[in-house]
Amino acid sequence: MLTAFARAFRTPDLRKKLLFTLGIIVLFRIGSHIPVPGVSFQMVRKCVDAADQGGLFGLVNMFSGGALLQLTIFALGIMPYITASIILQLLTVVIPRLEALKKEGQAGTAKITQYTRYLTIALAILQSTALVATARSGALFSSAGGGECVPSQIVPDQSLFRIVVMVCVMTAGTSTIMWLGELVTDRGIGNGMSVLMFVSVAAGFPSALWNIKQTGTLGGGWVAFFTVIAVGLLMVGLVVFVEQAQRRIPVQYAKRMIGRRAYGGTSTYIPLKVNQAGIIPVIFASSLLYIPALIAQFSGSKSGWALWIRNNFVKGDHPIYMVTYFLLIVFFAFFYVAITFNPEEVADNMKKYGGFIPGIRAGRPTAEYLNYILTRITWPGSLYLGMIALVPMIALVLFDSTNSFPFGGTSILIIVGVGLETVKQIESQLQQRNYEGFLR
Amino acid sequence: MTEAHGSTATPEHESSDDLGVDETPPGGKDRKGRRAAAEKPEPKKKSVFARLAVFYRQIIAELRKVVWPTRNELVTYTTVVIVFCLIIIGIVYTLDLGFARAALEVFG
Repeated sequence: MLTAFARAFRTPDLRKKLLFTLGIIVLFRIGSHIPVPGVSFQMVRKCVDAADQGGLFGLVNMFSGGALLQLTIFALGIMPYITASIILQLLTVVIPRLEALKKEGQAGTAKITQYTRYLTIALAILQSTALVATARSGALFSSAGGGECVPSQIVPDQSLFRIVVMVCVMTAGTSTIMWLGELVTDRGIGNGMSVLMFVSVAAGFPSALWNIKQTGTLGGGWVAFFTVIAVGLLMVGLVVFVEQAQRRIPVQYAKRMIGRRAYGGTSTYIPLKVNQAGIIPVIFASSLLYIPALIAQFSGSKSGWALWIRNNFVKGDHPIYMVTYFLLIVFFAFFYVAITFNPEEVADNMKKYGGFIPGIRAGRPTAEYLNYILTRITWPGSLYLGMIALVPMIALVLFDSTNSFPFGGTSILIIVGVGLETVKQIESQLQQRNYEGFLR
Repeated sequence: MTEAHGSTATPEHESSDDLGVDETPPGGKDRKGRRAAAEKPEPKKKSVFARLAVFYRQIIAELRKVVWPTRNELVTYTTVVIVFCLIIIGIVYTLDLGFARAALEVFG
């Protein structure tokens, strides 16, 4: 199998793409280490060391590869771009004009991409303002105060000009990331957005694992360390298993004579994955769940609702948080499948090209049949997504580990999902050149 | 919904022969037994629970038609994904170590 990796590097155009992607990753990591102007680098370092990984920004910090808490120029990471593209996908269903654009073909898609970029910038300005404001007031590291860390000293010069510069730099960083992601999609391997997401999540892995070893008590922490690794491997297997599962709906194409030649007459299938929605519901649910905590933090009020949110929604191991997370994931799984797979459209297309599902009439009955299968197959799929996202949290509560776990189900889903997708793409490129790939 | 399901049962089975998709046709006896078991707990509220039971059985029926990966496929995919992820994590980790040190040199 390792020889397959070597072969991938020996193929000239594939090597070019792989190296290009690696180069982008290097640039992305460099940016994640350059601090924003106006921030006291020493103070941030002290505070990051003192801060525990849980708390308000835990998940979001993981998505940005630890750059968020360090207040670097890439602090926001790829998240604004992902959020923007999800929002635009959702809006396509609601706004007729966007739907018309989508049906227009390539020109329309380009227009939608342009809108996505604008929305990304808007989101980036919003989020960077929020981040800078929390950093300025010292709320970013409020839990880590004391000792050498003085949260209010993170931004020494609090003039308006400084603040505006910081917001501008972070927004510019986010648009650079957006550009890097699109470059990867165009000239590299895999989908740029998910590759950068993957890199961010992967960056937090080693230190998170080491942290578990350090905090563990049994056998110098090695017991906890290996248990976590074993559970992780098991979950990787499970995720791969479900990701690969398909419900295949047979489709028969009618034979047609055009001129003197016969076309069609082939039988294929529509592959419906059990988890048709992929990892999008998890990403969306977690970014949505962080909003109430952010609002509560921002308002700084001591009234009842703010306290309630602070108690129930900030830590990942609270029951209410878990239940909400689970429900949101299930909801978004259905929602996203409904958006991305339109049974009527598929039925229409099949009718147009003379295809039919054996035993089902073309047109509306076909659409109904597809819908029937989709709703029934999505139920187990969405429940699986929710369970996977929650399992590590529950396990950690049982193992009475207090700080929430960056090595959770969300990150495993992202890592395995993107890994599988990327490896498959490399594989198909290898096979184009008649090599056998990794997946024999 | 049940009608749609009933009407599809036969052709689904026929087409499965040449595709090699569905090797286990649901056994009639087994199905009846399950229906009886599902309706047992709440005989009074038949309308809601019976419908839920039907829905549940339909989910199971669809899940049986799903093509799950074989053990061999599962093992290769899992190892490939793990190796790939380890490589990327290794690269990113070493990069991060270097850049963190560089940042400390320049800004610290």
